[in-house]
Amino acid sequence: MKVFFKLKWFFIEKKKEYIIGLIMLTFVAILNLLPPKIIGYIIDEIAAKHLTPASLVKWMTILVLVALFMYLLRFYWRLLIFGSSNYLAKTLREKLFSHFTKLSPSFYQSRRVGDLMAHATNDISAVQQIAGVGILTLFDSIATGGFVILAMAFTIDWRLTLIALIPMPFMALSTSYYGKLLHKRFGVAQAAFSDLNDKTQESISGIKVIKTFGQQKEDIEEFKSLSNSVVEKNMQVAKVDSLFDPTISLIVGISFLLSLAFGAKFIVDGTMTIGDLIAFNTYLGLLVWPMLAFGMLFNILERGSASYDRIEELLGVPMDIQDKPDAIDQQPKGDIRFELENFTFPGEQVSALKHIHFELKRGETLGIVGKTGSGKTTLLKLLMREYEGYDGTIHFGSHKIDAYKKERLKEAFGYVPQDHFLFSTTIFSNIAFINPTVEKEKVERAAKIAHIHEDILRFPDGYETIVGERGVSLSGGQKQRISIARALLLNPELLILDDSLSAVDAKTEEAIITSLKAERQHATTIITSHRLSAIEHADLIIVLHEGTIVEKGTHEELMAKKGKYYEMYQLQQLEKLVEKGGYCDE
Amino acid sequence: MNNQPTFSNKAQTTILIRLLTYLKPHKKAVFVALALLILTVIGDIIGPFLIKIFLDEHVAIGNFDTKPILTLAVTYIFIQFINVILSYIQLIKFQEIALKVIQQLRIDAFTKIHRLGMRYFDNTPAGSIVSRATNDTEAIKDLFVSVLSSFVQAGFLIIGMYIAMFLLNPLLAMFVLIVLPLIFIVIYYYRKLSSVVYLTMREKLSELNAKLAEGLSGMVIVQAFRQEQRFHDEFNEINQQHYRAMMDNTKLNSTLLRPVIDLIYFVAIILLLTYFGITSFSTSIEVGVIYVFITYINRFFEPINQVMERLAIFQQALVAASRVFTLLDHEELEPRQQETNAHISNGFIEFKQVTFSYDGKVDVLKDISFTVKPGETVALVGHTGSGKSSIINLLMRFYEFEQGDILIDGTSIKSYSKNELRKKLGLVLQDPFLFYGTIESNIRLHDQSLTDEDVRAAAKFVQVNQYIEQLPNGYQQNVTERGSTLSSGQRQLIAFARTIATNPKILVLDEATASIDTETEVAIQGSLEKMRKGRTTIAIAHRLSTIQDAEQILVLHQGKIIERGNHQQLLVQKGLYHKMYLLQNGIVE
Repeated sequence: MKVFFKLKWFFIEKKKEYIIGLIMLTFVAILNLLPPKIIGYIIDEIAAKHLTPASLVKWMTILVLVALFMYLLRFYWRLLIFGSSNYLAKTLREKLFSHFTKLSPSFYQSRRVGDLMAHATNDISAVQQIAGVGILTLFDSIATGGFVILAMAFTIDWRLTLIALIPMPFMALSTSYYGKLLHKRFGVAQAAFSDLNDKTQESISGIKVIKTFGQQKEDIEEFKSLSNSVVEKNMQVAKVDSLFDPTISLIVGISFLLSLAFGAKFIVDGTMTIGDLIAFNTYLGLLVWPMLAFGMLFNILERGSASYDRIEELLGVPMDIQDKPDAIDQQPKGDIRFELENFTFPGEQVSALKHIHFELKRGETLGIVGKTGSGKTTLLKLLMREYEGYDGTIHFGSHKIDAYKKERLKEAFGYVPQDHFLFSTTIFSNIAFINPTVEKEKVERAAKIAHIHEDILRFPDGYETIVGERGVSLSGGQKQRISIARALLLNPELLILDDSLSAVDAKTEEAIITSLKAERQHATTIITSHRLSAIEHADLIIVLHEGTIVEKGTHEELMAKKGKYYEMYQLQQLEKLVEKGGYCDE
Repeated sequence: MNNQPTFSNKAQTTILIRLLTYLKPHKKAVFVALALLILTVIGDIIGPFLIKIFLDEHVAIGNFDTKPILTLAVTYIFIQFINVILSYIQLIKFQEIALKVIQQLRIDAFTKIHRLGMRYFDNTPAGSIVSRATNDTEAIKDLFVSVLSSFVQAGFLIIGMYIAMFLLNPLLAMFVLIVLPLIFIVIYYYRKLSSVVYLTMREKLSELNAKLAEGLSGMVIVQAFRQEQRFHDEFNEINQQHYRAMMDNTKLNSTLLRPVIDLIYFVAIILLLTYFGITSFSTSIEVGVIYVFITYINRFFEPINQVMERLAIFQQALVAASRVFTLLDHEELEPRQQETNAHISNGFIEFKQVTFSYDGKVDVLKDISFTVKPGETVALVGHTGSGKSSIINLLMRFYEFEQGDILIDGTSIKSYSKNELRKKLGLVLQDPFLFYGTIESNIRLHDQSLTDEDVRAAAKFVQVNQYIEQLPNGYQQNVTERGSTLSSGQRQLIAFARTIATNPKILVLDEATASIDTETEVAIQGSLEKMRKGRTTIAIAHRLSTIQDAEQILVLHQGKIIERGNHQQLLVQKGLYHKMYLLQNGIVE
């Protein structure tokens, strides 16, 4: 029930809908009481042979009016209450998405997209249930059930009502118990199903391996045994699920029998008419649903409340980095200076970066090399202010980076990430990401610098080719080059290529580096790479190792130093210089 | 999922009939379940009848002999009790049948997936293939579990009640019959309207989810390029459309589902009472008959309401079924093999004027001819998209080709049995795919003919044994999440061991070292060299340094072989290879 309170803001927003809807439901519940009564009267009049055409017409007219009125009421309360629950789902989804857009990249690193999706879909629909079916079952079990019982007790016979109601609580209890049991077993069955899903996913991802080793039959056998387990676990669910209907009819049956037996006695005693008994029986039938609703209610609330807690928790994740009150509303320009002593990721012990000191003049190119895990990407993330809480300063232009407004700071960067991500839309829209209405020439120009223009023209629909799941599949190198074109379109003050040439072959890499150099003479570029060829021409190269700068200088200086860089350089040229030595000497 | 087809009635019937054929192996179980269902329906119909007897023959005339009343009560209780048990068994039976049918459908779908050619996997996102075998079949489950049984039950109950009503009062039964066409009209219109509304809602939902998934996966990019507002607006737009579709659905359901059925219930009750009222003016009527009719009418609408509520599920299940059947009927099968007894003994490979296209429009391989002598290594080099991988795809029979031929030991590869090819050709992929399981199961795969010694020997051969043995559980170490706990080099070595364990005659290396850093590569090169000894090898190499000792190097460019020779010969030619070589080694002339 607490969850209703938590959703107070929503019920207040939609109070008109809910109040009117519930009033209508009340009317429906009251009108519901009329037909059994009317049936009872008519039967009594028929039995006593008192029925006149006039009274028949009267009763039938009332029934027709009741029927039409109920139809309208039933239509409108549904529209109001279920409609509002649709609105709740929409609003929550909007809130969640809006919040998602504000969360920092570190949030996305620690959460899986699949889980976030589950919150935005399953959890929201569980909450939606509260506002729709939940309200309905709450009302039905209390109001409708209450009215029916009152009508039975006050208009027919309170003794018979008590007797007939004896078995009813067992229905609410047992269905609620089954519901819980079902939920548990359903979880197990769901897990078996997701194993099957994973298995299928794995088989499809590994299809080439399976084909190569001719293991189809064995793989199908494995699938069969998993699907057996799915059947088994689902049978456990079915065993509980199938209990509902028989239990309900058993309890209702007992109730009917009790009311008939005692009702007959009361008729004999002369305290009841036969019409009363039939009306009473019809009322009993009307009680089944409210009882069921009562059992359902708790399960709906339990699930919805857990879901709402998860959603609230997500909405409560704070935006990591906020602007300072007097932040500079200006895009940073100029030199970059790192004076970093130490940075440790939140919650970790070991420093990710130590003693990073360098200066990069505007228009220069910085090359960062180092093995995976040496801190290249972390360094870039600090520069882009994705993390804070380091010991030291980072200057961009004449101010520290945290002095700028975040929005304005971001404007300065053209970032090409390591794992290229393209949206499933046209190539054009992917490149023209910052501004979907940009002129075609600009997009093509960016594509040419990234050396992807020719490739694009070779696709069936050129720039209008759709990429991603529903479109053509691109090679890793093509995706990387489109990502580069996307960043170039910004014409950013600082272009960052975070190992984004790794899937591009050497020839294309060379071409891209050359055209970048020509294109961006007055703007700064940072390139991180495994491959030294990509950063060889940089104005400054820093070699990172275990989070710290081990060497710093130009290619020539570093080569002369014969240290780590030289070693890496040698390693990359390895076999040829050793085996076919002399052959390639210049 | 975007373009869900709207089905004609005929198409729906075809799908339904095809689904029903899956019941065939369960004929007996279906028969039992139906028999039980009929019994429970009979019980449901007899119950009110007994009460009618009680009312008319005892209550109304004040006859309260203990014996007949006791008999009636005991019979009533007995029937109720039996009914409860039978209906429980019946419900479980239907569930069991449904689950087995779905299992069969799933196995069929999965089996079919394995028979499809690579082309299908290129064109179909993995997620949607998985959905066919799992989520879509799950959606069909509801059809068998709840829809079909409730339809059948409703049918039986309605027929049974009518028979009972006709026995009691044929004329009145005729009157009540009038409500049936009313119900059918409602069902007809509901289905007609809902198929559109429901489809729109599903479409909007899948658009919404797609937008959400994409927004979340690409959020870092969205933020880096400051497009949050645009994405937010786009999302809201779709969210709004989805909301509207949901509202349409709610409106339709409110108009035509429960409320209208309740309205028809009133029509039936009014008809009934009017009839009894008018008749009572002239003749006397047994109160019990009125009771039975009213009870039947009350009961009558329970299954109708259930059926109405399940129509949406029915529609959904048919859509899902049509998708599964599309997969089952898919014709892009694996290339066929003539199952002959030909054996590969030497490993002499010959490509004869092979021309190939994936889409039938652009040739990715043009007139490719070359030979590889047994035990020799041929290396394929070239720019991305030059056709290197296509050569391997054809050799591995992942794709069918029409022009030219590929011969192994003088026989076309189309003439070897599938088994022979799989046994004699060993492929190592760029991405060393590891399965969920243990290291051992990843080397052995499902080949039970391999002994533990074979597995260990293979690991030793590729020099990964020391690494495996120092793991806490050695060969039984669990491999989870595609082996993400292992380094890429170790993963690749395990993949090598897997290939070596089958002792292939021909080794195919598809950029086997590309995803490995230079340092690890040195270690892996050693293993590779050992593997190549005595085997014909076709290798694609990203780094030229790894293939310098190949007997033959083919340089591909836009689907053609433009240079061929060994390393020295090619360098002397000073062509494309020479340039690639210089570039890769950072030598400026």
